[in-house]
Amino acid sequence: MNSSHSIRSIQDNIALVIKGKTHVIEMAVVCLLARGHLLLEDVPGVGKTTLAHSLARSLSCSFKRIQFTSDLLPSDIVGVSMFNRQKQGFEFIPGAIFANVVLADEINRTTPKTQSSLLEAMGEAQISVDNQTHPLEQPFMVIATQNPAEYHGTFPLPESQLDRFLMRLCIGYPTLKEERKVLSRAYSLHPAEMLGPVLSAQEVLALQARVDQVHMEESLTDYLLAIVQATRQSELLSLGVSTRGALGLSKAAKALAVVRGRDYCLPDDIKELAPIVLSHRVMLNRTHGMRTQSFEQAERMVIDIVETVPVPV
Amino acid sequence: MLFDRAFTISSVLLAATAFSGLVLVQSVPLWLAFPTVIILIISLLRAEGKGIIRRAMARVTVSATLWNVLLICAFLILLIDLTLVSQDLLPAGIHFLVVLLDIKLLTLQQRHDYRHLYAISLMAILASAALTTDAWFIPIFLLYLLAAVWTLLLYHLTHETNDISPGVTPSSTAAGHAAFPSGITHRFFWWTNGTALMTIALTLTIFFLIPRIGAGMFQKTSGETLRTTGFSDRVDLGTIGSVKQDPQIVMRVELPDQPAVEKDRLYLRGLAYDQYNGRSWNHSETRRRSLNSVDEGRVFLVRPTDLPPGSRSIPIRQDILLEPLDTAVLFAAPFAERVSGEFLTVLTDTIGGLYLSSPPSSRIRYSVTSHVTRLAQDERTASTLVYPDFIRSHYLQVPEESQLVADLAHRVTQEATTPFGRVLAVHQHLLGNYRYSLEGDTATLSHPLEEFLFTRKTGYCEHYATAMVVMLRTIGIPARLVTGFLATEWNEYGGYFTVRQRDAHAWVEVYFPSSGWIIMDPTPTTDTLVATNRWESVRHLGESFRLQWDRLFVRYSANDQLAVVHGVRESSGALREQASHWGSLISAPIEKGFSGLVHVAHTFRPGTLELITGVVVVGLALLLLILRDRIGLWATTHLPTSHPQLAIAHLYTHMVRTVEKHGVHKSPSATANEFASLVEREWKAASPMVADVIALYHQGRYSRTPLTASELSRAAEQVGRLQSLPHTPR
Repeated sequence: MNSSHSIRSIQDNIALVIKGKTHVIEMAVVCLLARGHLLLEDVPGVGKTTLAHSLARSLSCSFKRIQFTSDLLPSDIVGVSMFNRQKQGFEFIPGAIFANVVLADEINRTTPKTQSSLLEAMGEAQISVDNQTHPLEQPFMVIATQNPAEYHGTFPLPESQLDRFLMRLCIGYPTLKEERKVLSRAYSLHPAEMLGPVLSAQEVLALQARVDQVHMEESLTDYLLAIVQATRQSELLSLGVSTRGALGLSKAAKALAVVRGRDYCLPDDIKELAPIVLSHRVMLNRTHGMRTQSFEQAERMVIDIVETVPVPV
Repeated sequence: MLFDRAFTISSVLLAATAFSGLVLVQSVPLWLAFPTVIILIISLLRAEGKGIIRRAMARVTVSATLWNVLLICAFLILLIDLTLVSQDLLPAGIHFLVVLLDIKLLTLQQRHDYRHLYAISLMAILASAALTTDAWFIPIFLLYLLAAVWTLLLYHLTHETNDISPGVTPSSTAAGHAAFPSGITHRFFWWTNGTALMTIALTLTIFFLIPRIGAGMFQKTSGETLRTTGFSDRVDLGTIGSVKQDPQIVMRVELPDQPAVEKDRLYLRGLAYDQYNGRSWNHSETRRRSLNSVDEGRVFLVRPTDLPPGSRSIPIRQDILLEPLDTAVLFAAPFAERVSGEFLTVLTDTIGGLYLSSPPSSRIRYSVTSHVTRLAQDERTASTLVYPDFIRSHYLQVPEESQLVADLAHRVTQEATTPFGRVLAVHQHLLGNYRYSLEGDTATLSHPLEEFLFTRKTGYCEHYATAMVVMLRTIGIPARLVTGFLATEWNEYGGYFTVRQRDAHAWVEVYFPSSGWIIMDPTPTTDTLVATNRWESVRHLGESFRLQWDRLFVRYSANDQLAVVHGVRESSGALREQASHWGSLISAPIEKGFSGLVHVAHTFRPGTLELITGVVVVGLALLLLILRDRIGLWATTHLPTSHPQLAIAHLYTHMVRTVEKHGVHKSPSATANEFASLVEREWKAASPMVADVIALYHQGRYSRTPLTASELSRAAEQVGRLQSLPHTPR
């Protein structure tokens, strides 16, 4: 199966469940191919979990879902070493993180301690418990969801944690037409449960390897860095984009090129991804924004900043 | 008629009236006037909306760059015109103005273009106003005024309608503004222009009825003259004393550009007298003659009959503002050589007095250049002096019964050996032995001089001066009495002397054959009146302000304007001279070539061959100009290139520029695809070509595999096709 076909098929597969959100689906696939982690942020009931679920179901990979609550412990996620009487020694019981696709549902409902237990897994794709390092299986992707409208009993993700997500996506309400389609669906089952896998883990790894081969012309690298630089120099932002952010944008642009069937990047790739990849990594200046920045505000700022950077010819 | 069209037409008409003003003063040569008339007609037809013209003009699109180049060329031609052809600022400037007008008429599009057109036409009408005295200028100027009022009105109206309903043509105004008229009705036209005409008529009425500020309607004192004494044919001894307390200002004397002159005292000579009859002074000769005038009758030269050459010293220039007095005498520092002012004639008598033909009724301003005489060194020590007959017959007269005075004079001077020594002795005697006092009226006495010298021993300037003259004459030294003003009140803010009635003074002039008349003042100085307190300086400041006001506003006239123009012209001439002096090394060969060209142009009789060559060269140049885009395109694709990446980038920028010429602009931060979708919205016809070029551009610029030659030429072909599209965005 050639790559563009397989990418097409996974998008089509997800689109069977998530109606009218082709762009969001495309971005989720881009995130997967760029070896990134995805943060879905939206009001309840617009399909965050369903999207994560459908993506996982479309791949013939292991999938685990962790419902984050305030009493969740780090050991529930990463696993625990227990004394085995028969073997007369400690045995590592892996936690929920040991899967190809992990859905961290309502990630901001748990304590910072538990949230930070995800850090190593997301950054280095490995887990250290009791001086033992356990590598995670590839491909590995965390899809986290959070609800921006509710603040009671939540712990907002710290900057360091946010920076480890490649993208932050907002799904948004469907159009009237699409919503009608959702309602007229005749299944009683959860729609994601019906999906069958269209891509194997091996194929995902092959596609991820292809992303590394994508050519990014020098002027485009300069363009990307100019955007990053502009966020650091902007008076509207108190915190600009980190080097990890720049790296993430570069990777995502390459992945988008693959998704669009090219083996080279275009300025459009960078420009389109910049708000999605960068807006959760910046902090608005207090004088310009509210104390708790909203998703739309940060996104608009980043779009404005990108509009000040000339595109290379 | 719609506002927009009326606005354009009236703008062109405004330019046309300004231009006809220039034509009226005959400062536009035929080669410039003819094309301008054609351009005016074309612009008018285009504004009128004649289809053929409009379409033809739409086809001819010349880039802004070319206009700028033309403008620079016009400016260079102005410089050449200024230095070589007209050699004068005014005609060269007018030529340049007309060229600017032409260029602006051809590029009337944006609102600022209209504003520039108005500025140019204003300058044109001002230039013609400055140059003409023709009565035909009046109707042109009235037309200009009307057109200007009407045009500015429409300018504002079109601006406002655009503001109210942007993008909506006036004919389809939004419902909320339905009451606003969409076009010009007859009523509207006549009302507005009628109002303008009425305003002009009212202004003219005011202009003719309201008195001029210069006439000083609001100045109480001027209009009536100041009474003075001591400046008539006969002066009775003892009359000056009555005015010595009067602080009325008589004149102000400026000493421009002469820092070296002493600022503590300045003698301003009025009249001199040679005959004394014991009670009063008068002239032996009342004959007066006119001074010779030069420089269009504004400068009068004084040639003093009794002033020997060689005795002149530093010149002093004075600018004098004289209040109206009841005498026709012109005052000046001794001895005046040049008098300039707005006078018909200036008269003089044999003893150096200057007069107008009649006493002035208002303030007058005049300038005088004077030379102070100094005593020659050899005459200080000469033991005997030989006087000419004329001097002996006029300036040695003494009244009868003056034996007492003569005895005194001999007694005082018996120790002196030289004439100068005797003069000094008399001077010292009077300074040392008499007391200055304004008291005691001597006018009624029969022998006032003897009374002063021997009885009272107090008196004032007239007594001192008369005594010195008579004493010197009795010992054979020619002398005469002079009346005038002694200016001592220096205004440090305005830089001038304020002269008042109380400064009236009398002094003595003593004759030395080779030095001329030397001023001697036997009156002791009295510094009683000059009090330098705080209020004094404030008063000086106010006084100086009043003078400046008088100079710059009340008396600012056409002559002053002309003086400014003269100054500018002179300085520009000097500048030109200097520039040509410095540039002569470089310009000599150029000038030679230029004169050669002029020679060729004068003697040129076009043969067939030359004519054909000329046409071919001009044609080729035009062709190059038109095809320059195509040529550039051809060069990028057909010339061998080692960087196909750069070639496609170049083609892409070329394409963007082509589309932008048609009014679809790409912002710097827009990507190629965004630009493509913009073109699809704004200019559908160009969209396929643009999309194709952009696809090739993406492939060639950003992928690893470079474009092939055939792909490159396909891109070039698409750009070429884009260029040949008709001009119809949207």
